[in-house]
Amino acid sequence: MSQERLFSPLSTLGGLLGVALLGLLTVPLVALALSVSAEATLAGLRHPLFLPALSLSLQTSLASLSLTVALGTPLAWWIASSQSKATKVVALLVELPIVIPPAVLGVALLQTFGRQGLLGPFLENIGLAIPFTTQAVIIAQIVVSSPFFIQAATNSFRKVDPDTLIVARTLGSSSALAFFRVVLPISLPGLVTGASLAWARALGEFGATLLFAGNMPGQTQTMPLAIFSALESDVQLAVVFSLVLVATGAALLTCLRLLPFITKTTWRPLS
Amino acid sequence: MRRALLLRLTASSVIWFAATGCAQEQTGGSAKTSLVVYAASSLTDAFRSVKEAFEEANPEIEVRMTFAGSQVLRVQIEQGALADVFASANQHHMNALIEGGHIPSSQPFASNELVLVVPIANPAGIEGFEDLKKASLIVLGSDNAPVGIYTRQVLERAQLALGADFIATVQSHVVSLEHNVRLVRAKVEMGEADAAIVYRTEASSPRLKMVLIPKKMNAQVRYPIGALARSAHTSQARRFLDYVLSNEGQRILHSHDFLAAE
Repeated sequence: MSQERLFSPLSTLGGLLGVALLGLLTVPLVALALSVSAEATLAGLRHPLFLPALSLSLQTSLASLSLTVALGTPLAWWIASSQSKATKVVALLVELPIVIPPAVLGVALLQTFGRQGLLGPFLENIGLAIPFTTQAVIIAQIVVSSPFFIQAATNSFRKVDPDTLIVARTLGSSSALAFFRVVLPISLPGLVTGASLAWARALGEFGATLLFAGNMPGQTQTMPLAIFSALESDVQLAVVFSLVLVATGAALLTCLRLLPFITKTTWRPLS
Repeated sequence: MRRALLLRLTASSVIWFAATGCAQEQTGGSAKTSLVVYAASSLTDAFRSVKEAFEEANPEIEVRMTFAGSQVLRVQIEQGALADVFASANQHHMNALIEGGHIPSSQPFASNELVLVVPIANPAGIEGFEDLKKASLIVLGSDNAPVGIYTRQVLERAQLALGADFIATVQSHVVSLEHNVRLVRAKVEMGEADAAIVYRTEASSPRLKMVLIPKKMNAQVRYPIGALARSAHTSQARRFLDYVLSNEGQRILHSHDFLAAE
């Protein structure tokens, strides 16, 4: 009884604080949805900027996600399994882009891949020009999003019991086979979570893209850049574009909530 | 040198982020009246000088400047931003605010013209406006940024003089549409673009070479200024407007290469 009395004002306060934050997180999205009419939505979806931007966003974010997973998985495995001091440094370097503002990353990418940049003369020799191209959009997305994947992948690899691996090896699995048939199935939910976070971050990438890749419809103008461009002429249009990104994000999150469940029940490692 | 450029670019991105309203300049003030001035990106250097001189002449007023593309500032004012004064790089965005009842009236206070800028190394070998077709990487202002609107006027006029081929070639070489003139200029300053069209007032950089655009093709760039109807500091806003239009204000603008209002 006394314990209940002690905690109930606290839990009421906690509840109120929680509701306040929940409101802050959800009310803007509701307001966004309420601020456009059905006609404005239709007009927005038919706007010439819309389809090229959406398709560019989907293409580039899927390309950057594929590269992130392909390059990030071995790196994460190495960080998770190596005992050397170098891994700690590498783990820190990999997380650095998370705390650096995207605009700064955009300038840094220009200073690296630009004509006057560090690799500029080399790239010019082999006939490559990166800034202002779709490749620049993908590079910017990889830089801002892959740390999220690597972090999640490293964490889930660390949870794999080393004994399981040893057992697999003593039963005759090669180390590659053990990785694919033991480690990967166990860490799959974590990898999927990391990949989804990275994809969402790539889809929302704005600052680094604007500075490194520029703003050109059909070439480098992804949805966030199209939203900013639309905002300069027609707020309603910008809201419609934004709602499409919100819906995409919501769909992504829903799939994410369902996926680990599916993988847990249907995946049977080493059956 | 590279570090200075990096700082400069970071500064341009800060100017850009003024779109989200977080780049207001602040000086520690006590009981001073704060006057919030929204000004076009191209006024950045000139209005910083105006601010200094105005504050010296009016120690009881502290001017807080926000610089961004005029179209961005217009949207912010339409959405209720608490600005006192708006200085636009074209009449179009000013008129929209006048029609919307946000600004009672405006006065022209400066004019400008467009030029080509190329990196000092001039990789595309551009010596005259007609050489613009030789540039393979061209950066222009976006469709709603005043510099972009003026640029389209210049290209339309150039089409009559230089032919449709010229314009088609130029347009196929445009790689980016930037949201304000400072971002346009930054791409050339970094040497990433071969050429860009900016205001003449933006061309005085040691990293840039200026190429004039013939008068008959050039655009009439006019800057109007007005006080907001909802300003709580009407008399101070009036004083700022008067200062910009005064001999002293005009002298400062002229020292930054702006031309007198026509």
